[in-house]
Amino acid sequence: MKPILRLEQVNKRFGGVIAADDITFSVMPGEVHGLIGPNGAGKSTLMNLISGIYECDSGYIFFDEKDITKMPAHSRARLGIGRTFQTPRFLQRSSIRENLLLGTDLGDHFNYAQSYFGKKGADFEAELNELMQYAGFTFDWDDDITALPFGQRKILEIVRAMLSHPKLMLVDEPAAGLNSSEIDNVISLLTKAAKELGIGILLIEHAMDLVMNFCERIVVINFGKVIAYGSPSEVSSNPAVIEAYLGRDNDA
Amino acid sequence: MIKLLQNKKSQIKLSTMITLLIAVLFLITMPRINKDYKMLCLNLTLIYALCALSISIMLGMGGQMTFSAVAMMGVGGYFAANLCSGRLGFSLPTFPVLLLAPIFSAAVALIFGLILLRLRGTYFTFSTIGLVQVAWSFYSMYKPLFGGYDGISGVPKLSIFGYTPSNYNEWFYVLAAFLVIVALLVERIRKTKLGRSLAAIRDNEVAAKTLGINVYITKVIAFTIAGSICGLAGALYAMHTRYISADMFTFKVGVQYIIMAMLGGVNNTIGCIVGAILVGMLPEWLRIAEGYVNLLYGVGIILLMVFMPMGLSGVVTSIIKSLKKRHKKEVTAIVKKAEGSEV
Repeated sequence: MKPILRLEQVNKRFGGVIAADDITFSVMPGEVHGLIGPNGAGKSTLMNLISGIYECDSGYIFFDEKDITKMPAHSRARLGIGRTFQTPRFLQRSSIRENLLLGTDLGDHFNYAQSYFGKKGADFEAELNELMQYAGFTFDWDDDITALPFGQRKILEIVRAMLSHPKLMLVDEPAAGLNSSEIDNVISLLTKAAKELGIGILLIEHAMDLVMNFCERIVVINFGKVIAYGSPSEVSSNPAVIEAYLGRDNDA
Repeated sequence: MIKLLQNKKSQIKLSTMITLLIAVLFLITMPRINKDYKMLCLNLTLIYALCALSISIMLGMGGQMTFSAVAMMGVGGYFAANLCSGRLGFSLPTFPVLLLAPIFSAAVALIFGLILLRLRGTYFTFSTIGLVQVAWSFYSMYKPLFGGYDGISGVPKLSIFGYTPSNYNEWFYVLAAFLVIVALLVERIRKTKLGRSLAAIRDNEVAAKTLGINVYITKVIAFTIAGSICGLAGALYAMHTRYISADMFTFKVGVQYIIMAMLGGVNNTIGCIVGAILVGMLPEWLRIAEGYVNLLYGVGIILLMVFMPMGLSGVVTSIIKSLKKRHKKEVTAIVKKAEGSEV
């Protein structure tokens, strides 16, 4: 099987700060791949490099065996890179319907004229209802997005990403700020995405038990460098990782 | 289960019916109440409403503040005046020119959009101020195409398949028809992918990109459509007034259009029309307070921005929402009570 995402020696600097230093790893289809590291390690920067918000200084990013290093962000999204954010990003003044339709718009691949003159996309009602079973809550379609509590909004952002039928999802701290039952729902949604739909998932998360139980492989970065790469057990016993997280003795 | 759009489509909403009723009443009563000069003002107001709608697309849907409406209106207006008045040595029939004007303005807007929208946010807004000044300079000084300060007179009467509106009352209905058509076309944008994409750009550009939206091109498309609507307004103005001059295309007039949109509700089609009518007609309706109009106007704008940033339509929607919420609460309370009594 070929990887859905492959990074080769990706570099990114912001002035004197090295945010990504020769980063190389890959994500397989259907794999839940962890991306961890202490605060400020460069995790979110890496996601922004993959989704095209930032451009790499050097190195290559391959998606589905295609070089996307120079591709603008919206083209990458259209190829099938879905994304969620630490704090969910919705249309604050719009209904839930409008917000979810943005996801299906991406999946439909219509241009503006086709949509304007009434071309209908695939009916996603059944699909949405199924996803909401995993998401574990219901909502009134016409409510403002702000009517939902924070946790449900975060889960809904994952649902929106899934409605666009991506091949890869970049999920940024899905569990942060959620209660334990909501975290369970996130896990079941992401499991569905990876195992049933074959979506590769790159997951940033600080909740270590979630990462260790849920991810098949984990890449650990610190100061923009990969310091460990492998299965959860390999990574958690790696001295460099322990040092990065707990600090050296003399730090304490 | 989640209720979806399709199930609700057949029901016509109460709010839609009320709006329709008010619109029909407005169309019937206005020509009877207002005579001659006031009717002329009302007609111009309907033309301005088109420009307010163009601002609703750019600012309301896309969050892009632009002053360029007035310049684009000039493009359509001078296009129609030149082609119809015979001053270039030929004169074309008015109705085809009226339909060509928005296409021509769209082409011009596309070119300027491609250039100016390279800038973002405030920088873009300021560049459109420049565009308005440059356009006005050309309109007022370049005689061969724009007639200089004298403008272009002798624009023939509009003739739609032999029908010619001959007084202000007849013009009122012609203009209202154009306004309704454009309003419906604009409303359709809001309901389809373009409107959603613009809303995404307005609320969060980064998220918009990750949802596959080409931010730059989407803005350019919106700018082009807005310019096209302004071009239609300009052509209608030239044929209604049968004269066009640079006075109509100053920066000050451009600001008026924005105030119209802001007053009514920048992201609401009907709100923009109401705003245009209020801003356009209040000075006429409040003749008694003539000396104070500017003062009232200024104070009004400040109060508007403080107390209703989303304009009149924003107030209406929030009232409707709170009523719905109360209704929902009452229903759940009744349901709970019923459940309680069963137990």
